[in-house]
Amino acid sequence: MLERGLEEKTYVLNLGPQHPSTHGVLRVELEMEGEFITKADPDIGYGHRGHEHMAENRNYQQFLPNLGRVDYLHALAYNQCYCMAVEKLLGLKVPERAEFIRVITGEMNRISSHLLWLGAYLLDLGAFTPILYCFDDREHILDLLDRVTGSRLTYCYYRFGGVPQDIDEEFVAGTREFIKRLRTRFRDYDNLVTKNVIFIHRTRDVGIITQEQCLEYGLTGPMVRGSGIPYDIRRSEPYSAYPLFDFEIPIGSKGDILDRYLVRVKEMEQSLRIIEQALNKLPEGPIMAEKVPKRIKPAEGEVYAAVEAARGEFGCYVVSQGEVKPYRIKLRVPSFANLSILPELSVDTLVADLVAILGSIDVVVPEIDR
Amino acid sequence: MLKDEISKALAPLKLERVEPGDYDKTGYHLEVDAAPEQMPEVAQALKSTGCFLDSLTALDFPEAFHVVYHFSSFRELCRTAVKAKVPKGKAAVTICRVYPGANWYEREVYDLFGLKFTGHPDLRRILLPFDADFHPLRKVFETEKADA
Repeated sequence: MLERGLEEKTYVLNLGPQHPSTHGVLRVELEMEGEFITKADPDIGYGHRGHEHMAENRNYQQFLPNLGRVDYLHALAYNQCYCMAVEKLLGLKVPERAEFIRVITGEMNRISSHLLWLGAYLLDLGAFTPILYCFDDREHILDLLDRVTGSRLTYCYYRFGGVPQDIDEEFVAGTREFIKRLRTRFRDYDNLVTKNVIFIHRTRDVGIITQEQCLEYGLTGPMVRGSGIPYDIRRSEPYSAYPLFDFEIPIGSKGDILDRYLVRVKEMEQSLRIIEQALNKLPEGPIMAEKVPKRIKPAEGEVYAAVEAARGEFGCYVVSQGEVKPYRIKLRVPSFANLSILPELSVDTLVADLVAILGSIDVVVPEIDR
Repeated sequence: MLKDEISKALAPLKLERVEPGDYDKTGYHLEVDAAPEQMPEVAQALKSTGCFLDSLTALDFPEAFHVVYHFSSFRELCRTAVKAKVPKGKAAVTICRVYPGANWYEREVYDLFGLKFTGHPDLRRILLPFDADFHPLRKVFETEKADA
């Protein structure tokens, strides 16, 4: 390596696996010419736990807790996707109240995920204050979700056919309070971050992703919306109770980091709108489908279900051979495709910009590694 | 309708099967069976209609690997599932010249199933350590281990 490096006037720099800006154990091997990157090769798989293999060794219910550990920041979307896939296989209909509860808790979880991204990302860029604000707000969501789901991070709250525990008055009142609080906080974020000149200079026109690249790499989520494609599965392939609510899909224009940042911040406001509408319209009724078989043994067949997670499209491909255990479950995780564009984006950039680009992709490494 | 556009684009390739899927049951609008060596052309046809590669994986059946490609579109809801049966001992054909994003997916399938893709520029392991000597998602993996 050293000899080749001397010859070609390039050298190799190792970023990670223990680097604060890689948010988990991700290693990127960089080939540098002076200060500029000529080639980046992400090395993933440090946290490979074999979730897909585990799925083949246990029955459908036993695999549920694994989903909260694939992407631990937006765990409820992953719960929901897997439940939707199995419900489709079994032909179960989820009661309306349960769908509303799924939407409310899922959107709360999306906000908590975006808040953590916001704080941690600005920390990457050298701004220390926002993370303190973000964690303060996020703490309220965790407390509220803790009340109904029983956990603060790796949720396993949804079941096939509904949810196991109803939300109570205290949760509804607490959530309304939180919505009011977060809306006043957005102004602080705007003043602290969005109007910050240093932040703008570090993010504008950096890491531009074209619409063509979105298509070639199969990017989803804020990555494509930042580039101006209004693709959101909650709208394009409506699931759960989402068709009943009125919300906008924020999009960017240029596809640079600043656009992706703005998309995520605006998305939080839209999530608040969805939660508010869901709380206002919350119907009474059962929270569990009537005839959920105790022993889940779907007929032979396959199904693909997808949801809009905080990072993009999460898809669950379940193949059943009529056994109590699934034949194969493929987890289509958004960060895997989103990260695969990094080698192309990082050519001819500085290491400091690479950190900014990597953060703007919002990867959760355990989700990529599965 | 995008579904008809895709069917039209695939028609000249004379594929084994191009059928509308039962969306409520499987989540597909279009189901396609193709021979593995036709895959680059199939991918090119799908790309010309504006579809992106959503996911790529394999299923291990005793007689063959089924490589499953899921396509979707930013424009209009139309999920297409393409399946290519690759007999054991044979290799699939890469589509990463059409979709660069397929590069990592194909590496993952190689890593987990040991299925090779001809024409792939960089077929290394991706999730497992580079020196691993097994492919964990093969169905015979367990029995091999029990024998040892």
